[in-house]
Amino acid sequence: MAQEEQGFDSITAVDLATMDDAERDALPYGVVGLDPDTTVRTYNATEARMSGLDPATVVGVPFFDAVAQCMNNFLVAQRFEDEAVLDETIPYVLTLRMRPTKVRLRLLKTPDTALSYILIER
Amino acid sequence: MSDASGEEQLLEFLYACPVGLIECDAAGDISLMNPHAMQHLLPLAGPRGADNLFTAFERHAPELRSMAAAHAASTGRVCDGHRIFVDLGRGSRAATRKVLACTMVKLGPNRLMATLADISQQVVQEERLRQADAWFATLLDGVNDYATLTITPEGRIASADPCFTRQTGHDLAWLSGRELTEILDADASGGDLKLDEQLIVADRDGWHLQEGWQQRAGGDRYWCQRLVVARPGREDGTPEGFAVVLRDVPRREEAAEDMRRLLTCDHLTGASNRRHFSQALERERTHWQELRHSLSLVVLDLDHFKAVNDTHGHPVGDLLLCRVAAACAAVLPPRGIFARLGGEEFGALLPRYDQRQALGLAEEMRAAIEALAIETPAGSLRATASLGVATLDEAEGSIDALIALADERLYAAKRAGRNQVFQPHALAA
Repeated sequence: MAQEEQGFDSITAVDLATMDDAERDALPYGVVGLDPDTTVRTYNATEARMSGLDPATVVGVPFFDAVAQCMNNFLVAQRFEDEAVLDETIPYVLTLRMRPTKVRLRLLKTPDTALSYILIER
Repeated sequence: MSDASGEEQLLEFLYACPVGLIECDAAGDISLMNPHAMQHLLPLAGPRGADNLFTAFERHAPELRSMAAAHAASTGRVCDGHRIFVDLGRGSRAATRKVLACTMVKLGPNRLMATLADISQQVVQEERLRQADAWFATLLDGVNDYATLTITPEGRIASADPCFTRQTGHDLAWLSGRELTEILDADASGGDLKLDEQLIVADRDGWHLQEGWQQRAGGDRYWCQRLVVARPGREDGTPEGFAVVLRDVPRREEAAEDMRRLLTCDHLTGASNRRHFSQALERERTHWQELRHSLSLVVLDLDHFKAVNDTHGHPVGDLLLCRVAAACAAVLPPRGIFARLGGEEFGALLPRYDQRQALGLAEEMRAAIEALAIETPAGSLRATASLGVATLDEAEGSIDALIALADERLYAAKRAGRNQVFQPHALAA
């Protein structure tokens, strides 16, 4: 796959779904994959480095309750609940390692993949 | 257990903590915060950005900044469970209103730690209890003397009892479906809440009780206790209307009225005294905070007053002070409070006046004083005054800052040549 097609702004949910863990870990931005009830199913190495969390403990937990309460509002969590198809990039502030950090979020949801994705770029 | 896993566990703990934790410096700049804190702060802060605690709460709790600033000691508790009503008003009635509780501790001269907790559900429960309490209290006190009205959520009269007709003289058939404010249009004086404002407070707190003048159908006035109670209704806790209970209270004894005047008025000019003025300031600040009313302060100082006393003697000086107080009271709006703050310094507290309105009134006062003429054996005595105007919005909710700002502008008016109202630059722009 060409380098530019894997960029933060251009990669698709289908691209992410067809990658294996090692390929997702190699991406320079954070990737979180959520199943329909917003439980974490994939958590790539870049995101683990930024948050300071071990993917093994994050996978399987409810994302918006246990890891990312700061996205548990109408700006992010509500949109995954309300919308069937989603591809939107928004400026956001996360609390990575408890420090307010300005990031860009890309919210991806499509009926073509089992998981929805949140991409996080610092 | 390795260090790395220890740190991870600590981070997991903080990521999942269901209470907001924030550390910031004295200016409010945030150094550390957990996701739960960000969950509340980010939607509130909007374009102002969530990297400063006080800026993020500028619109909903501007008092946080002044409370932290007012805490002079280098350590200690700034506030404990301070309630922040994130939205208020009738437009937002549909959803359960969000209430945050903030506890702030000062850990050092430039280090603050705050917690934020969502207590919306707790507040809903408290409201239910208060509604029940208020209802019991009215029932136990004997229903016969009370006139009751039921009110729809839109503020229209649904029904009234015969006692209401006896008390007010309004016909029952005529009442139904009318706007409540049309019937109970008491002339508001001082800091009294209007009926529709009482409904807002009752909606939030469960009830609101106030004493004041009420008008009967025939036009005469009577002193009345007015209790507004939200009627608990729907599953989500939003009221399905209100009950208004009116009680005709015999007029206060004349002696009590004299005592009240003695305690609240300046003996010379009859204007409010400083103590009463500062009580009114506190009360109006609460309204400003809860109902987002604007509040303005005008301070006024007579120009060259010492020369009047020196040239004409104190009796003439005293007469001038009385005439100034009367002239200013004459242009004061019904809710305004005019007080003598010191020797020749006066203040006017103007609830619901924004800066533009307050500047207009200050100019009226200036002109009224300039128009005064007192005949003395030494000829006609004229007077002028310098005035400063400030709003509680500008002072970010701090009474001390409000007075200081108005004083500062008063002295700027003096320096600019006296006999004028200082014009803040914001208006010129």
